[in-house]
Amino acid sequence: MNPPNPTTVAASPPETPPSRRAIRLPKDRHAIVDNFFRFQSLFGLVAVFLIAIAVSPSRNGENVFLSSGNLANIVRAVSEIGIIAVGMTFVILIGGIDLSVGAVLGLAAVGSATLMVDSGLGIVPTVLIVLFIGTAFGATQGAIVARIGIQSFIVTLAGLQAARGIARMWSGGLGIPIAYGEGPQEAPEAFSLLSGSINGVLPVPALIFLAIGVGALLVLRSTAFARHVYAIGGNEKAARLSGVPVRRVRVTVFAISGLLAALAGIIHAGQLNQGSPNDGAGYELDAIAAVVIGGTSLAGGSGSMGGTIAGALLLGILNNILALNNIDANVQLVVKGLVIVAAAALQRLRPRIA
Amino acid sequence: MRYARRAITILTLTALALTTGCSVEKDGGDNGTDASAQCGGGKDFLIGMSQANNAEPYRQVMNDDVSTAAKAVPGFRVVVSDAAQDNSKQVADVENFLSQGINLLIISPNEAKPLTAVVKKAYDQGIPVIVLDRKVEGDAYTAFIGGDNVAIGKAAGEYYAKTLLPQGGKVVEISGLPGSTPAAERAQGFREGIASNPKIEIVATQTAEWLREKGQSVMDAMLKAQPDIDAVYAHNDPMAEGAYLAAKAAGKETAIKFTGIDALPVASGGIKAVEQGRLQATFQYATGGREAIDLAKKILVDCSKDVPKSTTLGTMQITKDNAAQAYTELGGKQ
Repeated sequence: MNPPNPTTVAASPPETPPSRRAIRLPKDRHAIVDNFFRFQSLFGLVAVFLIAIAVSPSRNGENVFLSSGNLANIVRAVSEIGIIAVGMTFVILIGGIDLSVGAVLGLAAVGSATLMVDSGLGIVPTVLIVLFIGTAFGATQGAIVARIGIQSFIVTLAGLQAARGIARMWSGGLGIPIAYGEGPQEAPEAFSLLSGSINGVLPVPALIFLAIGVGALLVLRSTAFARHVYAIGGNEKAARLSGVPVRRVRVTVFAISGLLAALAGIIHAGQLNQGSPNDGAGYELDAIAAVVIGGTSLAGGSGSMGGTIAGALLLGILNNILALNNIDANVQLVVKGLVIVAAAALQRLRPRIA
Repeated sequence: MRYARRAITILTLTALALTTGCSVEKDGGDNGTDASAQCGGGKDFLIGMSQANNAEPYRQVMNDDVSTAAKAVPGFRVVVSDAAQDNSKQVADVENFLSQGINLLIISPNEAKPLTAVVKKAYDQGIPVIVLDRKVEGDAYTAFIGGDNVAIGKAAGEYYAKTLLPQGGKVVEISGLPGSTPAAERAQGFREGIASNPKIEIVATQTAEWLREKGQSVMDAMLKAQPDIDAVYAHNDPMAEGAYLAAKAAGKETAIKFTGIDALPVASGGIKAVEQGRLQATFQYATGGREAIDLAKKILVDCSKDVPKSTTLGTMQITKDNAAQAYTELGGKQ
């Protein structure tokens, strides 16, 4: 059987059913308003980008914000959070949440360092094992959510503690430095390319984020899996009654989140030349913020991957321009909080106007 | 559910292909290579201060010391960033400083290994780098300034041996986070310091992980286990204050003497605790903020090429006699 109303859920984000009041609006005005909210995060991104150019300090007559080195720094800095946020979007779309991703990132960073430095494994087996660990961790959480029916908030809160604990036990509580070379206790030199750039312009982590983002965007646009995800988030009971394999989709979604958190952890270890069990603390909150700014509803069922990517970039530009203008660190926290609330408030306005 | 499986396969393959397959070159020190401005008097200099974690009072005081000292040098402007204990954030902070074109970098690294590369990048661009308190690996920096925890522990031990307990007595030690270098060094130095007085005995050692509240609960337990404690040697002031509170609750705060380490010139710091009689003494762990600006002045204004690669800061013993004076001298606000 088909999920309910497949044409609506296939679009991203799905349009809310037009209310009586919306129908009375002139047709073109309705379209403009609707499109504004639909691409809210993209408009936000463009606006923040333009503001950043305007308020950027200049150096030797050059706009510091627009310099290629600075733009590269921005995309490099957001790539880990961005990759995690892509996975988080799937989870939030089914009405769940994954609080374990920051800790899984730490666990993956420790795993990458230990397997290469202490166990002497090559890059490919290390990456495979670490990605498997992340996927299995996520799938286990998904299975607990789906089979036992505990809320994902609680399951992944427990998962956060467990992943952090495992990372500390595995590493002995201290960061494991990664030295490169051929000898024992040394990681293959190629792993350090994760901190490199292509032609000195596009940082490798940003390229990975871009690829993952585009891949997820395509998956969410045109697969039956995506329709199932939206259907579960919109109305789980209706989805189940129309034949959506709710449990399997749940497990899959958490597995994707775990997989991408582990991938971000591998990149983290490559960028910092260290696997520290304490790294990634609070990253889950930044990822959730990116998803929310991207216009995805925490209630599930509505949102888009493009929004999340724009949301992550917006946060990165915001962090960068605040730093370039030397805004006090405490003020920066307040500004970020206000932006998140503003994005969520815009979302609340949407069904009333559009 | 083959769609789900397909989706996850696509994502895995993309991830794998990207992490393993691509051939790229490692980053060199590229952008913004107009190096530091020419040194000399009467010029303006921008100094970036990259702090590991503003939430620790010691590091907040370090920032204040840097800012205050820099105000006294004409032409110096300091910008401060806070990495909030996140290595990635601190790397980005330094990158942002480089984009802005700082003339000198002062950094107190969160951890050595992850910050080494970005510090080297700055240094290779010709920007002088002063590393404070915690080191980075290798020698791609201009100067390191830090305290000597063994010497501080030893000074505390000698104070116990000669002044606090000349007739000997039972001491309990409340130590910092296990595995941390300062905790190990403050313990080692103390034992060297009390060696001259064999009548002093360390009857118990417990960790309170640098925290005031843990100092209190650890002391609660030790008061029950050890009936006649003469003094408490705590590895920092907050733990000493916590232990004092526990003793006070048991009515033993006058019978036991307390000492700490750090001596921060802030209202909640150890100097005030000594002045107000809760602690007998505390030993300063200097931030190096003022010394960093002195060095920066030598490098940028005086064009000195010959600055010491490593500076070890001394300590100051603070007792009731000099507490008020030390508080003002170290820049504390009344």
